[in-house]
Amino acid sequence: MADPARMIKPEVKAERAASAYEERPKSEGSGDAAAKPTDVNKESSSQDAVKEEGRSETAAGEDDDDQSDAKRLKVDPEKKKERRQKVDEDEIQKMQVLVSSFSEEQLNRYEMYRRSAFPKAAIKRLIQSITGSSVSQNVVIAMSGISKVFAGEIVEEALDVCDKWGETPPLQPKHMREAVRRLKCKDQIPNTKHKQILFH
Amino acid sequence: MAEEEDEAGYDEELDDGFGDGSGDVDAGGHGKRKRLFSKELRCMMYGFGDDQNPYTESVDILEDLVIEFITEMTHKAMSIGRQGRVQVEDIVFLIRKDPRKFARVKDLLTMNEELKRARKAFDEANYGS
Repeated sequence: MADPARMIKPEVKAERAASAYEERPKSEGSGDAAAKPTDVNKESSSQDAVKEEGRSETAAGEDDDDQSDAKRLKVDPEKKKERRQKVDEDEIQKMQVLVSSFSEEQLNRYEMYRRSAFPKAAIKRLIQSITGSSVSQNVVIAMSGISKVFAGEIVEEALDVCDKWGETPPLQPKHMREAVRRLKCKDQIPNTKHKQILFH
Repeated sequence: MAEEEDEAGYDEELDDGFGDGSGDVDAGGHGKRKRLFSKELRCMMYGFGDDQNPYTESVDILEDLVIEFITEMTHKAMSIGRQGRVQVEDIVFLIRKDPRKFARVKDLLTMNEELKRARKAFDEANYGS
């Protein structure tokens, strides 16, 4: 997913910093080790490098395709990459327009949405206490990512329920429970505790 | 009703693992386990559309749900692929049917690779000069 805030103008520096912070899956680890000021410098410069990297990467990719693929297949990967790049850029532009027109409250909420994340240490501890063996960093990154999506799905469903019942936020436990019940029907909530024996 | 059953169930089995409960914190009649994600979940709920100060009970329910989700995924991941271990491929396999989560995991892993490469390039540039 392209990050629109990457190319945003300097006046929205906060947004940029926020996105850089959010996009660093390993921010917890390295942030603890290094001193804070140097870490911030590294973040912004690595972000610039990533931007350059993103552009040059696709160009290099196309060259490789030319040389390694058969002539017959040459056209398709190139066209797909171009199309994907164009779609990415369109999306970035649209997001930029949208974010630039946010009110103060909306900007706050968007910043919270992007910045909030589960602490990697706690997630790692939780997973390791279940498996009994150590897990790689990628696993922790993936797990905390989908947990956040999961939490988002529940909150969205609960807001839907709250709206349907004609009530206002903040969300109450009854909304959360109804949301979970609905998501269970849609099979979005994993549950391996109840084993259903079909033929016995 | 089923909700309470579920939460009481996993609470018991995880109680041994989390001995860092500071005394008996009776949060909503559940465990002695300390709340792991209270601060982060509050910010998250606000980001997802809730009020700026969500109710503590709602945050607790959501935390229980998230922990249960992680537990379920971990158990499932342990049972497929390489037994007894959790690997990224297992998680991606389990998530394949859910488009949102699948796309998110792919994005996160791709971006992590990009950042690692950028950091490496930055370090090498530094080393050269």
